[in-house]
Amino acid sequence: MAKTSLIEGDVLVDVPSPQSGRARLRRGRSTDSGVRALRLPSGLPWILPSLVLCVGLIYYCVGYNGYISTLSWDGISANPPSVGYHNYTTGILHDPVFWGAIRHTAVFFVVTFVAQTFLGLLFAVLLHSKVKLGVVYKVIIFVPVMLAPAIMAPVFREMFSPPGQFNEVLHHLGLGFLSQPWIGQSSTALGVVAAITVWEWTGVNFVLYYAAIGQIDRSMIDAARIDGGGNIRVIVSIVWPSVRGTTFALATLSVIGALKTFDVPYLVTNTGPNDSTQFLGTYIYQMVVTLDHVGYAAALSIVLLVLSLVLAIALQVRSRRGKLT
Amino acid sequence: MFETRNRSQRIFLQILLTVLVLPFLFPLIVMVQGSLQGQGWGNYRVVLDVPGLWRFFLNTVIITVGVVLLVYVVAMLAAYGFAKLRIRGKELFFWLLLGCLTLPEVVLLAPLFVTDLKLGLYNTYWAVVVPLAALQVPFAVLLVRNFLEGVPDELFEAIRVDGANAFGVFRFLVVPLTRPIASAVAIFTLIGAWNDYLMPLVFLQKQSMQTLTLVPQFFQGEFNDDQTKILASAVLTALPEIVAYLFLQRHFERGLTAGAIK
Repeated sequence: MAKTSLIEGDVLVDVPSPQSGRARLRRGRSTDSGVRALRLPSGLPWILPSLVLCVGLIYYCVGYNGYISTLSWDGISANPPSVGYHNYTTGILHDPVFWGAIRHTAVFFVVTFVAQTFLGLLFAVLLHSKVKLGVVYKVIIFVPVMLAPAIMAPVFREMFSPPGQFNEVLHHLGLGFLSQPWIGQSSTALGVVAAITVWEWTGVNFVLYYAAIGQIDRSMIDAARIDGGGNIRVIVSIVWPSVRGTTFALATLSVIGALKTFDVPYLVTNTGPNDSTQFLGTYIYQMVVTLDHVGYAAALSIVLLVLSLVLAIALQVRSRRGKLT
Repeated sequence: MFETRNRSQRIFLQILLTVLVLPFLFPLIVMVQGSLQGQGWGNYRVVLDVPGLWRFFLNTVIITVGVVLLVYVVAMLAAYGFAKLRIRGKELFFWLLLGCLTLPEVVLLAPLFVTDLKLGLYNTYWAVVVPLAALQVPFAVLLVRNFLEGVPDELFEAIRVDGANAFGVFRFLVVPLTRPIASAVAIFTLIGAWNDYLMPLVFLQKQSMQTLTLVPQFFQGEFNDDQTKILASAVLTALPEIVAYLFLQRHFERGLTAGAIK
């Protein structure tokens, strides 16, 4: 490669710049001060494609959303009337379905995050212990991550139906009195959606915790053992604080995941019964595709966008602050 | 991690783990068992005989390859620029990218819906590939940039003293160096694109353009809710993913952990 592009004009220059100045200082101190400083080429052309693709497309969409959200528009007709803030003020603020979706998202996040964290950590700890056939267990826990929720949806619809396999298992366990139409009633449908999500995503928590635990200094654990710390004590006092960074990363992923939720409530429970599994994603979809309320959907999108940004930043700030103390 | 002092404790751990893992296996058993009811393996034959099944598969492959390639190229270029080159206002641009990191894809729905209709991109691969890639690029750039910043500057200076221009550095240093992190990027992009449902659902209405994640719905129409055939089709569409995972298990896990642990 050196043959093709020997010393080019823009590579070797004398103009002092902050970078080249620093580079020259460093080199001067170490070995050969005779070599002229290399000025770094501009990186702008290199980052340009990413900016065009992401900033171009996404910021365009966000901006366009902002504009559409001030319209009363079906997405097709020319000259839609402007309604100013009304999609937000008289629309979203007083929309019981929207507030329901927010409530479901919050409940869903707490349930799935707690369950996935608990199970993921438990599996990670168990598989770091002396158990046989560890690989088999790992594969079983992780395979759901690989499978598309959309492909598994028919399976879950069948499984949780009144004559489905879930109720059957309850009968076999002597818990037949618990059997009920899990998907068909408002009181349990959200639970089913959460359970499916836990099934799908525990593998991620497990793999991350498994890797994080592998990095804990063994001598710390051995020392705790010598001091008489039992299994639970070691997990609570050493493992849990050591994987704190991973927990925050997973919390951020779960928050964003909860706000993004679409496939499972759309396909398994069809956002029902009575909007009991309505989420922001499914609601926006219905507004755009089924109901042609594109203006209102755009306003909902802006709210969703702000929520996910604010929550993600808040979690990041918290996780950084915790590290300092 | 759990200390086991004797055999009975070890057996207890093994049983505990097995019981806990059963619920994860259960839906897969339901899926396979359900697909074999009625006509047994005949269900699979009927499903495989449906004309157009391969089309779904092919579309998914085309879209996934498109997304992975686009993300790889764009993210590698950008990561090199951000990590090792001179850019005025570098961090500002970087934050602009990171701003896209948390964006739920459904936010793009209304604007893309309107824009695609206007530009005639509806029912084309572009309508799905470009937004999916745009959503994946920020995280990929973040990962690769972090990785590259761990590489000492001296290495880059040395190769440039030897006369390589920026492209030479990219071709002969960045590309080979970043191979481990690039495979991580490729894998999470692959899972995301392969499993995506919302984008094809909205932007690919024409049947010949649809992807594997839309297969269950297609078969619901095709077989009048004959659950056994639908489950057989679910098994068939899930199979490539499970096989791929079993073969590339370690890469997948490394791909996932790359983001969280340095």
